[in-house]
Amino acid sequence: MYKTHKTCFQVICILLTLLTVILIGSNILVIAVRGIRCLADNMRDRETLFALWISLKSSCISTVLCFCLAVPAAYTLTKMQSVFHPFMETMLELTLSLPYIVIGLSLLIIFSSPFGKALKKAGFPVIFSSNGIVLAQLVVNLPFAIKLVSTAFLSTDRKLEYVAGLLGATPWKCMQTIVLPQCRNALISSLILIWSRALGEFGATLMLVGITRMKTETLPASIYLNVSVNNLDGALSGAFILMIISAASLCMANYLTRSDKRLSRYHG
Amino acid sequence: MDNKNTLLQVKDLTVKRGNFLLDHVSLSVRPREIFAILGSTGSGKTLLLEAIAGFYKPEKGEVIYCGLPLLEIPIFRRNIGYLYQDYSLFPHMTAYSNIAYGLKMQGVAKAEIHDRVNAIAGRFGILHLLKQYPGTLSGGEQQRIALARAMIRHPALLLLDEPFSALDPMTRKDIYGIILKIREEFGCAIIFVTHDFTEAEILADKTGILLHGRYRGTADAKDLYTAPWDTDTMAFLNIKNKGDI
Repeated sequence: MYKTHKTCFQVICILLTLLTVILIGSNILVIAVRGIRCLADNMRDRETLFALWISLKSSCISTVLCFCLAVPAAYTLTKMQSVFHPFMETMLELTLSLPYIVIGLSLLIIFSSPFGKALKKAGFPVIFSSNGIVLAQLVVNLPFAIKLVSTAFLSTDRKLEYVAGLLGATPWKCMQTIVLPQCRNALISSLILIWSRALGEFGATLMLVGITRMKTETLPASIYLNVSVNNLDGALSGAFILMIISAASLCMANYLTRSDKRLSRYHG
Repeated sequence: MDNKNTLLQVKDLTVKRGNFLLDHVSLSVRPREIFAILGSTGSGKTLLLEAIAGFYKPEKGEVIYCGLPLLEIPIFRRNIGYLYQDYSLFPHMTAYSNIAYGLKMQGVAKAEIHDRVNAIAGRFGILHLLKQYPGTLSGGEQQRIALARAMIRHPALLLLDEPFSALDPMTRKDIYGIILKIREEFGCAIIFVTHDFTEAEILADKTGILLHGRYRGTADAKDLYTAPWDTDTMAFLNIKNKGDI
């Protein structure tokens, strides 16, 4: 009975792998072959360059903001004890389960309100503005970032923190000298993954800032626009750029995670 | 026991971690005393040691250290030395930085740190290891570095979690000598947990027995086999006696 199950599971796993390789692999091949061919032409196009620039700029800003908020939040959730932690954890992770289009709609409602209008008057417009792109990426990525950073903090050895404390390290010093160096690579790899997700964010951004050529046109939005006007070459070259960036960031993140594992092996 | 002559008092301490309960532990340790906590595997020895260091908030009872409730002293002001069974050296720092860590946290000047680290490394025979990272060192070497790191701030109390269990017999004898030397030179009290009766007899002044999360009492180390223990403890000691003596 056990053997039959084992064989059956193996067959399903192999079939799924093959199916993924065939479907995704063929798509990637099409994007790569056709994307490379029209990449040179499209890289001279002002609109593509604008989309690339605004995507890189907004994803970098939102990633830095995201990390600045995620690190203290994750540290509090994983290292400090409070009866409110389960509640805070659930609230902070709530948006993880929401579709991005719904998050975008919620943001649109919030920033269409008198509060949003007051912000616009104060010189910080959100709707139909590049600020909105950063905000949408931040809101979508924050729970994911907290989850990743929490996992990195949880992987550190608690005993080292106790020892550091008894040696006179205040909680802040302990975080600086023991916790952060221990999970440095895991944090960098989280940073890369968060940035890569921000770069590809589409749903929430679409709802909050729409797609206006040369104004709120990110790289994913540019792909969407090009497909809608039947400019497949433009769409494929945009997809190729996103694919290369994603693949490079995934490789980097995996490499750093492996380096961290090597560092922690000495304990055995 | 006279309170003035007591460095540490554990009063009716009850700690719960998961399903494990450390139940109503009471013991006292005098300055410069070596106290062994004996118990079988899984009896809660490490948990007791961690609770003595104040890592966990107890369900009941308290620990009084230097006349003050321990949990009222912030962890970074307790000045207790702690040595884990796996030594818990900071893997991203050299041996030198590990030993110097406590002094850096105190804000001691660099030149003084240099002198004090070299002095203590000389006493522990680890001068030649200072530039190395923990991952490249043997168990005995790591233990000496961890001891030097714990002692550099001259703590009044040193807690050792099964300090000899991972060492070969020769290194173990060396470390016995080092422990006695630490008491002589630094004048601190030492509490160590072990499951080895011989270690308790050789090193300790007093011995406490912990079985299944319950503290069974304290006796002078020389009276370990003659003290009036309960039935469980007698069984525990007899089984070991047959094997060891």
